[in-house]
Amino acid sequence: MTDGATLEGWMPEIGPALSLAEVVEKAFDYRGNVTVIRTDGSETQGYLFNRNADGPVPFVQLFDLNGGGPHTIFYREIRTIRFTGRDTATGNSYAAWLRAKEAAKAADRAEKGSGSTPPRGV
Amino acid sequence: MSLPVSQMWAVASYVVRQKLAGRKRYPLVLMLEPLFRCNLACAGCGKIQYPAQILRKNLTVEQCLAAVEECGTPVVSIPGGEPLMYPDIGRLVEELVARRKYVYLCTNAILLKEKLEAGLFAPSKYFSFSVHLDGLREEHDEAVCRDGVYVQAVEGIKEALRRGFRVTTNSTLFDGASPLRMREFFDEMMDLGVEGMMISPGYSYSKAPDQEHFLRTQRAHDLFSRILSRPKRRWRFNQSPLFLQFLMGKQEFECTPWGNPTYNVFGWQRPCYLLQEGYAATFTELLETTRWENYGKRSGNEKCRDCMVHCGYEPTAVNHTFGSWRGFRDTVAATVTGRF
Ligand code: SF4
Ligand code: SF4
Repeated sequence: MTDGATLEGWMPEIGPALSLAEVVEKAFDYRGNVTVIRTDGSETQGYLFNRNADGPVPFVQLFDLNGGGPHTIFYREIRTIRFTGRDTATGNSYAAWLRAKEAAKAADRAEKGSGSTPPRGV
Repeated sequence: MSLPVSQMWAVASYVVRQKLAGRKRYPLVLMLEPLFRCNLACAGCGKIQYPAQILRKNLTVEQCLAAVEECGTPVVSIPGGEPLMYPDIGRLVEELVARRKYVYLCTNAILLKEKLEAGLFAPSKYFSFSVHLDGLREEHDEAVCRDGVYVQAVEGIKEALRRGFRVTTNSTLFDGASPLRMREFFDEMMDLGVEGMMISPGYSYSKAPDQEHFLRTQRAHDLFSRILSRPKRRWRFNQSPLFLQFLMGKQEFECTPWGNPTYNVFGWQRPCYLLQEGYAATFTELLETTRWENYGKRSGNEKCRDCMVHCGYEPTAVNHTFGSWRGFRDTVAATVTGRF
């Protein structure tokens, strides 16, 4: 899970400084939808839930935006991956929750109000 | 230990069969996640941090049964997400019970009373509700980030017990938990009449120097020693006493990551219930292609260094019980004396 820093909106360019394998790893860890851009220019959007870089033919697997799949795309077909969907993990760590709670308690103390549980979103 | 004799026998005979068959790696409890949706949003819960189309997905009952068949464990635990939100939960449980699997339905119990009143389940020695409660009212409501959940869960537990169901609890403890309050919690659960309790430290991972890892482990041992020392005779735990001794720092165990394999809408999760390092299409593929040597404390993997979580270490404790005279003797002694 991420807390603060997020790759949401990242549009990496694959090149000497950044390999496709590195971008795939980041997409695999990312808790939002991505857009896979193929070398032929076609695109597939969805949640990248699996990758296998070790086999004879490395591939990624996605469920598309309708939940259909899994769709398998080979590394050799991919030009890049864009982090286009909302990062569902941002700000949802337990540490973030504790910080929010402490801040709410401090605000309550300041207002002499009762200490209620602050709301949180996912 | 509070397990029914038939369940202990089923697990013991299964382990002995695996050993006689010379299987080096075998699973004990299947963690079957038919969905990731939940009606709570506990802080830090990775199970619910997915885009909407993933949260909408359900395994079919047939997929679930095929996974159960494939890995062959005597015990199936159904976490999630919230399994009471799974549309076919009644049929799934019925099918598993018909196959004589010991089923633990892990629930936050918000919907428990409602589903019981709807007649979704029938009591069976093969079927238990495992209610997620991380402590007394104040601690639990804080852990799940919503007021009133503890009261709802207790109502659900009472209703399930009244209808003759087996009910256990499962509690995750983090650094800073109060040993005194946990002991009060155990008393309260026993007063309610639950069959047994399960406890486990929460999983946390952060890159840290060696000394900090050592201190974290020491703190965890200290916390569990204070909670479990001089246990009351009336407390019953639904887990291996050797695992509890491990939490207290009295047993040296290594993780058995294949012991509680996880199957969900993505497939068979590598390597364990906690880490998501990829998925295999079949259980055999999971066993044969996961690099097991990269996991567990001895591997040096940063993500495993502070882990003492039940899904990795309870299978080790169970194997120890049936794999050595010392383990068997320690288990019997702890069970008979009620001391860990
Ligand atoms: S009840 Fe369980 S699955 Fe639901 S949000 Fe809390 S920890 Fe996650
Ligand atoms: S030590 Fe913990 S995190 Fe590592 S493989 Fe075992 S259960 Fe998973």
